[in-house]
Amino acid sequence: MTSRLRLPFQRLRRSSLVLRLVLLAGVWSIIMLVLAGFGLNHLFRQAAVQRFEAGLEESILSLQAETTVDDGQVYAPPMTDARAYRPFSGFYWQIAGVDAEGAVAPLIKSRSLWDSGLNTPPEVVARARRTPGVSVFFDTTDSLGKRLHAGAQLATVPGRTAPVLFMAAENRESIDQAARQFALVIVGALVALGGGLILAVYLQVRVGLAPLFGLRREVALVRRGKAERLVGEYPAELAPLAGELNALVAHNQDVVERQRTHVGNLAHALKTPLAVMLTEARQQPGELADVVERQAEAMRAHVEHQLRRARAAARAQTIGERTDVAQVLDELSITMERIFKEKGVTIDWRAPDDLCFRGERQDLQEVVGNILENAGIWCKRRVRITAEPLEADWLCVTVEDDGPGLPAERRGEVLKRGARLDESAPGSGLGLAIVDELARAYGGDVGLDDSDLGGLKVAVRLPRAET
Amino acid sequence: MRILLVEDDPDLSRQLKLALGDAGYAVDHAADGEEGHFLGETEPYDAVVLDLGLPKMDGVSVLERWRRENVATPVLILTARDNWSQKVAGFDAGADDYLTKPFHTEELLARLRALVRRSAGHASPNLSCGGLRLDPRAARASVNGEPLRLTSLEYRLLHYMMLHQGRVISRTELVEHLYDQDFDRDSNTIEVFIGRVRKKIGPDRIETVRGLGYRIMPLEGESEG
Repeated sequence: MTSRLRLPFQRLRRSSLVLRLVLLAGVWSIIMLVLAGFGLNHLFRQAAVQRFEAGLEESILSLQAETTVDDGQVYAPPMTDARAYRPFSGFYWQIAGVDAEGAVAPLIKSRSLWDSGLNTPPEVVARARRTPGVSVFFDTTDSLGKRLHAGAQLATVPGRTAPVLFMAAENRESIDQAARQFALVIVGALVALGGGLILAVYLQVRVGLAPLFGLRREVALVRRGKAERLVGEYPAELAPLAGELNALVAHNQDVVERQRTHVGNLAHALKTPLAVMLTEARQQPGELADVVERQAEAMRAHVEHQLRRARAAARAQTIGERTDVAQVLDELSITMERIFKEKGVTIDWRAPDDLCFRGERQDLQEVVGNILENAGIWCKRRVRITAEPLEADWLCVTVEDDGPGLPAERRGEVLKRGARLDESAPGSGLGLAIVDELARAYGGDVGLDDSDLGGLKVAVRLPRAET
Repeated sequence: MRILLVEDDPDLSRQLKLALGDAGYAVDHAADGEEGHFLGETEPYDAVVLDLGLPKMDGVSVLERWRRENVATPVLILTARDNWSQKVAGFDAGADDYLTKPFHTEELLARLRALVRRSAGHASPNLSCGGLRLDPRAARASVNGEPLRLTSLEYRLLHYMMLHQGRVISRTELVEHLYDQDFDRDSNTIEVFIGRVRKKIGPDRIETVRGLGYRIMPLEGESEG
């Protein structure tokens, strides 16, 4: 039972806030408006009936005042209302005698009643007898079936000992029609009022909740890397939430940073002992030294790979990061030219000023740095980097060199981990595999092609932060 | 040839001292950043092998302090942290080469030889234009003592303009002197490079002479150095 009761509320809870508020206000105002409608209608009807009954009372009193008894015979006065003379006109009067049992015997009646009398229910007669001199009102019908409203009063007439029942009745069509018209107008007005109220509530809710929608938009901007944090001004109720969201974003970046630091510390801790072992083994040639060297090499490769994977896994989950591409390309070009100073490598980079990568600076450095290092190793003299926005939310960084290039059938291998195409070339051999892994972590990819400079062209697709 | 080795790991230090000694270098060793900094500042070394993870003061700070104090000794960084942000930071601090741990001693020796040979190149007079200075020997430039970070094309552009300072240089002339024969020449790219160089040296030092080209001038109020 409870579950059936709670179900609609649960559904309501999940549905929109606007709907909830509007529904609540709507249901409440409909109930109040319906009650108000009934109340007004009732008051109006009551007033109309009272006015009607005042008229009947007046007819009864004038009838009473003018009625004379002569020799036991009751004579009625002439009525001013012409309807009293037209048969079945809807206006009737009747003077009747009442015996001890309450049976009504008409003494004299209006001409309009023709050959019928006014139906007088016994309980009306009983009430009239309990309150002589006071009119009792009741509903009845005439012989044509029209609904009448009537009044009856028991009074004594000079010249006659037994009291006489004076009655006047009138077609109540006029009150009913007025009441119907009033109800129609009231219903119309209240429906209009209700609609207006709901509209007003809807507008109020939309305007009142506007900061909430603003907050949602801003959070979306942060998630898509368009903004680093929430900067909007929010009302007192939302400001703490915005603050908490900002703290969450900062915390998220913090956690990633800390993870990376741990990983870096681990790398440092492992690599120095490995360097010592390698050097020591080389200085004392022999079988043991060979084994140690081979195994240390393998350990180094594993450590490197696993550390990079750990770093890659920590990435791409951060939110709100954006990195200026041109700046990273500039830094890396300068660094790379210094690294390959001996060789005299010229790096020419081109990127729009407002191009931003949606992700961490370190990751873009890692991606471009590794491709560049590879290009620096293989090029003759020149490396060209081009960064440009792609359709939707992507950008492309292309690195080309004028080296020997790479045959198409071998391109798949370079992206595999640990692949080293030329054992004699320096470098860990992991470079492009890491680039591939990182690009994938960001949902992008790496493509290899021939460059018009003569060598290899590496194109990486990465998410772009909107400007 | 005298080398300063700054490395905190005792085993690695011993090995490197041995290997460097065998290769004919005189080696001084410092086991922490402060001692290393002091030695590098006071003794005339031909090259420094500097580990980045050091007690007391880390390698990047040591290097930055040397460069601020105009110690121009070539420095080779040893680092276990082989991500690119570390490399960029190291080169920004003024390093001349880097080597990632673990490494082969032969590679270290080869790099060191190249470093010493490179830095021993003959000196040529520095160029200056107001607060802008350029050292063709080290291929380095600075503005008001702040080192500039330039790519080789940007450096070449600045070098050429400073050699001909005060004269209007056309785009075509710049293209011809900047690029090799086999570079695709596109004079529009000159604007890109001028823009980038302006960003680094300040917007007003290079003047655009409409329809003719560019001219580099000292800023108003700057004395010719």
